[in-house]
Amino acid sequence: MAGPSSVVVPRNFRLLEELEKGEKGIGDGTVSYGMEDGDDVYMRNWTGTIIGPSNTVHDGRIYNLKLICGPDYPEKAPIVKFYNKINMSCVAPDGTIDPRHFPSLGHWNRSYTMETILTELRREMTAPHNRKLHQPPEGSHY
Amino acid sequence: MAGQAQLPRRIVKETQRLLSEPAPGISASPCEDNLRYFNVIILGPQNTPYEGGTFKLELFLPEDYPMAPPKVRFLTRIYHPNIDKLGRICLDILKDKWSPALQIRTVLLSIQALLSAPNPDDPLAEAVAKHWKENEKEAVETAKQWTLTYATDG
Repeated sequence: MAGPSSVVVPRNFRLLEELEKGEKGIGDGTVSYGMEDGDDVYMRNWTGTIIGPSNTVHDGRIYNLKLICGPDYPEKAPIVKFYNKINMSCVAPDGTIDPRHFPSLGHWNRSYTMETILTELRREMTAPHNRKLHQPPEGSHY
Repeated sequence: MAGQAQLPRRIVKETQRLLSEPAPGISASPCEDNLRYFNVIILGPQNTPYEGGTFKLELFLPEDYPMAPPKVRFLTRIYHPNIDKLGRICLDILKDKWSPALQIRTVLLSIQALLSAPNPDDPLAEAVAKHWKENEKEAVETAKQWTLTYATDG
């Protein structure tokens, strides 16, 4: 952890760091993200992808999500929404992640990243209360 | 505020000098809530397609500054072979040619100089560089148009 002199990286430079990391590719590629509109100098809209974990009902499915990083990011969490229909405890009926049921958003802090959110969502898919939930047909969208 | 209490003396001195003796055509002022984060304005140099334009940039001094270079980016859109769509700048002193002997001022002067001397042989914006090499006159015309559209008030 940073000491008392901790330096605060401003929003845009933080997002540029995340962009560069996303472009290089993360880990084994089971989660990824990039900018939705490469022309947007304010880097507001992002697209994330999660590959459903094996040994769950999500195995083999590819989930696309929208992440909106507002002007107060990363002080405030992004808004995160599934494009693909999914049945999961933290997902509202319109596909939006409900921060009350997803600690990475509900207890957000500025050290979290879009990678944190996607990785934690994928982990959530493997949770006992989610891994066997009946799912909407593959390929259906909100 | 974090980052404010223990701002290194070097940054304090550089900031004071930027404010008291600004370089011609360049202004840089720190944000109140983050003294490592600067709002920068560079005026388009004369006799370039950027003349008459007011270009906004942002600059951030990372934790390991001055051992590491500042991070700088254009916020105003600009048609230039070494500046990409997100405003990122391809300039050697911002990367491997950085030296702690350089300063915020020298970086900004170098960016201003880059506007006067586009280098399409070391491109960041590939399409713009190609345009520049194949038809410089037309590329310069596009750059003027962009200056008018994005970097001029009203």
